[in-house]
Amino acid sequence: MSMRPGGELATRPLHFIWIADCSGSMAIDGKIQSLNTAIKEAIPHMQDVADENPNAQVLVRAVRFSDGAQWHVSQATDIADFKWEDLDAGGVTAMGKALSIVADQLKIPPMDERALPPVLVLISDGQPTDDFAGGLQALMNEPWGRKAVRIAIAIGEDADQEVLKKFIANPELRPLQANNPESLIKYIRWVSTAVLKSASSPASQSAAASTSGLNVPIPALPDAGGPSADDVW
Amino acid sequence: MNLENDTARWQAAGQSVRGAAHERSGMPNQDAICWRPDSGAGSSLVLAVADGHGSSRYPRSHTGASLAVETATQLVHDFVTGQADAENLSLVKRAAEEWLPRAIVRAWREAVGEHINANPLSEIELDALGRTNGDLTKAYGATIVTVAVAERFVLYLQLGDGEIMTVSDQGAVSKPLVKDERLFANETTSLCTADAWSDFRVSFQPITNEQPALILLATDGYPNSFRDEAGFLKVGPDILTTIRAEGLDRVKDNLETWLTDSTHAGSGDDVTLGILCSFVPFCG
Repeated sequence: MSMRPGGELATRPLHFIWIADCSGSMAIDGKIQSLNTAIKEAIPHMQDVADENPNAQVLVRAVRFSDGAQWHVSQATDIADFKWEDLDAGGVTAMGKALSIVADQLKIPPMDERALPPVLVLISDGQPTDDFAGGLQALMNEPWGRKAVRIAIAIGEDADQEVLKKFIANPELRPLQANNPESLIKYIRWVSTAVLKSASSPASQSAAASTSGLNVPIPALPDAGGPSADDVW
Repeated sequence: MNLENDTARWQAAGQSVRGAAHERSGMPNQDAICWRPDSGAGSSLVLAVADGHGSSRYPRSHTGASLAVETATQLVHDFVTGQADAENLSLVKRAAEEWLPRAIVRAWREAVGEHINANPLSEIELDALGRTNGDLTKAYGATIVTVAVAERFVLYLQLGDGEIMTVSDQGAVSKPLVKDERLFANETTSLCTADAWSDFRVSFQPITNEQPALILLATDGYPNSFRDEAGFLKVGPDILTTIRAEGLDRVKDNLETWLTDSTHAGSGDDVTLGILCSFVPFCG
């Protein structure tokens, strides 16, 4: 047996980034606690998805935004080792800053051209109080920002749907509306499993055929249900 | 020396393996490889690899890839061997650049049309394709990477992702085609799109003093299996070293194992590698 040609082999990285609103309004009616619970509950399911596809290395990070934006989990952490530290709420809604710091990390380098499309999940219950357009522009200026799978979850009726639609930038995909803890858990679970699984596939497609802008097939949405007596947000 | 005759200056080899992810999901290998003449030896040779789009919207892309390598190698082989004025490289170059991309796309679409006529798309396939789109050839979407080597020139044609690298006698690696910035984040140009011919990258290189010792063609599952590009580019010199030390047959014997290891420890995608080897004294 001759030695295998070439350098070191490696699975393809898949970056998954939570972008979480931690403004003061998230403290009302248990939203922030519900978000912490939903993400914690989703981690073992993400680990299961990652185990099913060992050719994708799922790396998770998190950004929090309120009076500013900081990395809550700054190191891209293998999902097998990922632990969620609870977020707390207080302050305003610096969503634009959050998108800017994500954009910085999506540059090539540190990102790799051979990576799988990253998954960005923006969760918010309100309206940006800073330069959202500037932050979004910074994100979209990066090739991996434009080609990321961008999912938005609106918590409660006060979330700014138009802003979240601009983040998604795809008419075929609307913000997910969570008006109670159960629906938030459902949506977090969906993005953590179904979307993650789709994004971790190496399947290619024609760029010209991608008129929707979706370079990763988005799986069917979980049943959103209509307005419910359980709605608290 | 196993060559068919004294004029044989090139040999072809290659292998395609099903991706680890496709093994898990039950999907077929959607890559394909083909060379002409079938003997894999001669003074001129054509080798092609193709990658069928893996997305569910392309339910027959494995067939599309097979049809792509078959039609492209036949067409380019006929082109190379049929040049009435092969000494006039300017004319050959112009025809290669202007006529071949259109002819390859046309031949592929005709082959796909015949396949559809003989094997109509099922309801499930039509659903996957999306009924609003009337162009059924999209079900067969695939890339095509083709290299022709001849007495006096080397011709490189590529539509979509994948890689071509050349290795000189001294082991220096280069890429004969310019980078296409659109090939990013699982998206590729494709034989199945309108005006696909215009998305071809073509390079015509007359052989003057030195020809490549080795030319490698790969579908994107192979470079994506390496941690970085340097690791992939090392494949060329490493294979050249093995051929010189142990012969091309040694490479052929090991290729399936190497590529299988690559998809399992790397991208999980189908992996295909084609090899054109020029230096007769070291081959076989």
